[in-house]
Amino acid sequence: MAISSATKAATDALSVNRAPVSVGAQEVHKWMQSFTWDFDKNRTKYSTKYKMANDTKEQFKLIAKEYARMESVKDERQFGSLQDVLTRVDAANRVHPKWNESMKVISNFLEVGEYNAIAATGMLWDSASAPEQKNGYLGQVMDEIRHTNQCGYINYYFAKQGQDAAGHNDARRTRAIGPLWKGMKRVFSDGFISGDAVECSINLQLVGEACFTNPLIVAVTEWASANGDEMTPTVFLSIETDELRHMANGYQTIVSIANDEAASKYLNTDLNNAFWTQQKYFTPVLGMMFEYGSHFKVEPWVKTWNRWVYEDWGGIWIGRLGKYGVESPASLRDAKKDAYWAHHDLFLLAYALWPTGFFRVTLPTAEEAEWYEANYPGWYDMYGKVYEEWRSRGCEDPNSGFLPLQWFAENNHPIYIDRVSQVPFCPSYCKGASTLRVLEFNGKKHSFSDPWGERMWLSEPERYECQNIFEQYEGRELSEVIAEGHGVRSDGFTLISQPHTNKDGKLWTLDDIKKIGCVFADPLKAL
Amino acid sequence: MSTSSNAYGAGIMAKTGKAFADEYFAEENQVCKETNDVVLVLKKSDEMNSVVQEILLGDRKADNPTLVVEDRAGYWWLKATGKIEVDCREVSELLGKNFSVYDFLVDVSSTIGRAYTLDETFTITSELMGLDVKLQDLATA
Repeated sequence: MAISSATKAATDALSVNRAPVSVGAQEVHKWMQSFTWDFDKNRTKYSTKYKMANDTKEQFKLIAKEYARMESVKDERQFGSLQDVLTRVDAANRVHPKWNESMKVISNFLEVGEYNAIAATGMLWDSASAPEQKNGYLGQVMDEIRHTNQCGYINYYFAKQGQDAAGHNDARRTRAIGPLWKGMKRVFSDGFISGDAVECSINLQLVGEACFTNPLIVAVTEWASANGDEMTPTVFLSIETDELRHMANGYQTIVSIANDEAASKYLNTDLNNAFWTQQKYFTPVLGMMFEYGSHFKVEPWVKTWNRWVYEDWGGIWIGRLGKYGVESPASLRDAKKDAYWAHHDLFLLAYALWPTGFFRVTLPTAEEAEWYEANYPGWYDMYGKVYEEWRSRGCEDPNSGFLPLQWFAENNHPIYIDRVSQVPFCPSYCKGASTLRVLEFNGKKHSFSDPWGERMWLSEPERYECQNIFEQYEGRELSEVIAEGHGVRSDGFTLISQPHTNKDGKLWTLDDIKKIGCVFADPLKAL
Repeated sequence: MSTSSNAYGAGIMAKTGKAFADEYFAEENQVCKETNDVVLVLKKSDEMNSVVQEILLGDRKADNPTLVVEDRAGYWWLKATGKIEVDCREVSELLGKNFSVYDFLVDVSSTIGRAYTLDETFTITSELMGLDVKLQDLATA
């Protein structure tokens, strides 16, 4: 019987390119290169203004068999630890209650980022034309699926085995009212999957992963351990074992466009926009979670940021690429100011807006106030005395009738939402790099906290149309909005979020909020 | 505590309060500065503890005098000038079992620098692989 032309072609190819006798992974990798897959005329649904080179490499020479073996060993170790020793020693109940709350935010939000990264790297697989680069992106697609499951699992584990399950389970149901959700979607979703494919890679891989996963997924494990949490290091350090390949993918994206003329025109702007987009959210939120969501402090957040972001990412990644025209991000000065102050500004607002959250928050103790003042001179005069006033007015007690949000109104300090980052800010009471600027477009006012976001908005205003909570709920009473936005526990009336983690403290209910008569108002209407 | 300039708490990190802020906000520190350092994060495990203690800080310590290793609870934090290299054939010999470069990657948690594998060697380097230096493939007979 005659063989088909396809079989004959395969037979001929194999006679020229003999299969390796050994099964060494890198020998197989080398052999596979001899098939010379040609994606030079690759057609993609996801275009880019850059021309990606056709000969970019994947730095780890991974073949599918080794990838699968490696990942299965990682999972065996991780799930083995969680289901055996960590359960046996009741690890989830040894976590400090404050840190338990931080993990509600960190793991739920990271899960969203990982989920969107699946789509982002699928898009990059489609865009790239170098076979090895495609292989690197494809491995990352599979990694991101693994990470999404891991993040979901750790919340499940905390909810099932630990303390105060509310917020670990089903945090997403509060996404309409929680003021941190929309900003998180901007960095973890829109930034990764919308627009130019290479720009998405810069957001996801060169900035998000090579820069911010180090504090978010590595340094966080030290804070977790210090606060009694051994589950997070077990899972997060395992997640990060895939991130080094993602960082390499991001670097190879830059390698693939380094000699393209478009890089000299656009790369520095795209890098600065990506850096500002990512830092605008990660810097204050991570700093807030580490410092205000822990009892035992590892080091000031600004030092963590200075090490991983400024010295290491800035020097080892960006600094080394200087001779290829890559410049220090123009927004770095403002980012550094944010790394020192913005998490303090954000916690002030997060505590004031606590009823809309899905995690419990705690005022700094006297001992913590001393730590803040020693590490951030000037902290007490700006923040410490405000917390003292709130505490003296009974902000933790449902019978007090006092929500810290009232303090902002009483003192004429309106809270705005930055249209681009969706991060709340109070321009008249902050020390971070935020100043109010307002622009009008199509009959609607938009507030901005910084010139970097404003510039991005000016170039494509239709991209940033997300309503903020003040616009969405204007004129509505707070308890109604919380009930509608699923911000209550399984009893139907106790709030998920609380302004303390004291197990003997009274829990706030919808009735306690209703008595206060707090009504949403859009601050832009008053301008 | 290490006195190396690569140590976790070296330079500005040793300062606190106003002294830290003064240097952090100093004009010359408002732009990224190129460095030839590399950082490696190894998740603690039976194998990685052996690699760190018996090879990097043991037999191979003299090969890389700039290397600093610090214990950061769940992971080892390593920083060196130029590069850090691990030959997994040596690890196999130490552990008494086959240990490939992909077994090594199971517990490599983060890299700052250009990391790559070639045969059974893992390298993280400050060199710009693919730009200044070509990434090599396995040489075959």
